[in-house]
Amino acid sequence: MKNLLLLFSVLLLFSLLPTPLPAAEGATDSAATTADDDLFSADPFATEEVELQIYDPIEPVNRGIFWVNDKLYFYLFKPVARGLRIVPEPARVSLRNFISNLTTPIRLINCLLQLKGRDAATEITRFVVNSTVGIAGLFDPASSNGLAKKEEDLGQTFGHYGLGSGPYLVLPILGPSNLRDGVGRIGDLFLDPLTYILTDAETLGLKVVDAENELSLDKDTYEGIVKHEIAPYLFIRDAYEQNRAAKVNK
Amino acid sequence: MNRTARFFFLVIAFTLLPVGLCFAAPGPMETAQHTVETVIGILKTPALAPEVKRERLSTTIGNSFDFEAMSQRILAQNWKNASSKERDRFIDLLAELLQQNYLGHIESYTNEKIEFVKERIKRNKAAIDTLILTKSKEIPVSYHMLQNGEGWKVYDVIIESVSFVNNYRRTYGQIIKKEGFSGLLAKMEEKLTQLHQENQGQ
Repeated sequence: MKNLLLLFSVLLLFSLLPTPLPAAEGATDSAATTADDDLFSADPFATEEVELQIYDPIEPVNRGIFWVNDKLYFYLFKPVARGLRIVPEPARVSLRNFISNLTTPIRLINCLLQLKGRDAATEITRFVVNSTVGIAGLFDPASSNGLAKKEEDLGQTFGHYGLGSGPYLVLPILGPSNLRDGVGRIGDLFLDPLTYILTDAETLGLKVVDAENELSLDKDTYEGIVKHEIAPYLFIRDAYEQNRAAKVNK
Repeated sequence: MNRTARFFFLVIAFTLLPVGLCFAAPGPMETAQHTVETVIGILKTPALAPEVKRERLSTTIGNSFDFEAMSQRILAQNWKNASSKERDRFIDLLAELLQQNYLGHIESYTNEKIEFVKERIKRNKAAIDTLILTKSKEIPVSYHMLQNGEGWKVYDVIIESVSFVNNYRRTYGQIIKKEGFSGLLAKMEEKLTQLHQENQGQ
């Protein structure tokens, strides 16, 4: 109960934040680019109606954390994930499905908060189908039958109601985020049934296992970025904000 | 022309229309499918030496993109300010970097399926939505193409809602702002040297 009160007071404070933070700084360079496009005629399939504004006031700090995360990735998390690969891939996919099925309430509540009735119904159906036919969520027969997972979280819910992303943040270990999504992540913990069933240590353990498992299924995305991009920090920052903006607008 | 003649003329015109369309240049979706098939074909030819494979893949990829259109979009305002020499240098470097990037992805290909979901065409531009189906997930990839004298060429790739061109426009824009156009070119050259060294080391 105390936790919930804390959460709501944080949310309340947060909601008082002025939304149009971005326009402040670092955004000036991109504003000019959308207006004059006679050279390359407007893109009818443009993914951004308005140029995305990225606000990174604590860039030096973020870059520092990015550097530490990079080392942690290559010297700790990735080797562990590689070790996990001795477990056959189907088993790891099943582990992911299982945990994802248990965290249905996070997605469901966020669908409801955004008044997306159809998506909420999809999440409920998925849970019923995958918990039964999918043997306690180990398999995902719902997806193969046109019921794809609705990835919704509190960060997207805030965005849905017009809250801007705020300053970009690189979180220790967790990686790219922003103020809105970071607070959302904390809030989502309260919507996660595992938080209530397990002890804090067990929840943390499960999150670590889930993340390492995810990394073991990933095809070296981060390695590819570091190898090929001339500015990995900038590339990831932009990719994160583009991806989140698209999810909010969905 | 009397009425009967006109009628026959119309009938012939309409029966021949589909035939004419069949012989017309391939549409954007067909072009994209053809490219994917060619790439997979090269990958699945075991007899080819790795260098030959790389060479052929590189040519195929090179022919599928409109690097000049991409460069214009990426550089935006900076394109206008650049000299023609700088522009050409940028196009060359971008083309090479992109090919390296794509080769990296292609070479880690392990029988994923590519599903062509839909094609949207607006005049001389098109968007081809695809899904890459891996064992553990589906990755939406969209190719934005434009029609130039040589056919349909890709000018932007959107992976999981992240537009490559938008990303580079802002990312490269920041670098130009801090280090100038020559600073950007130097960074690109440095990256390419590094990639070539790594490839030779393998």
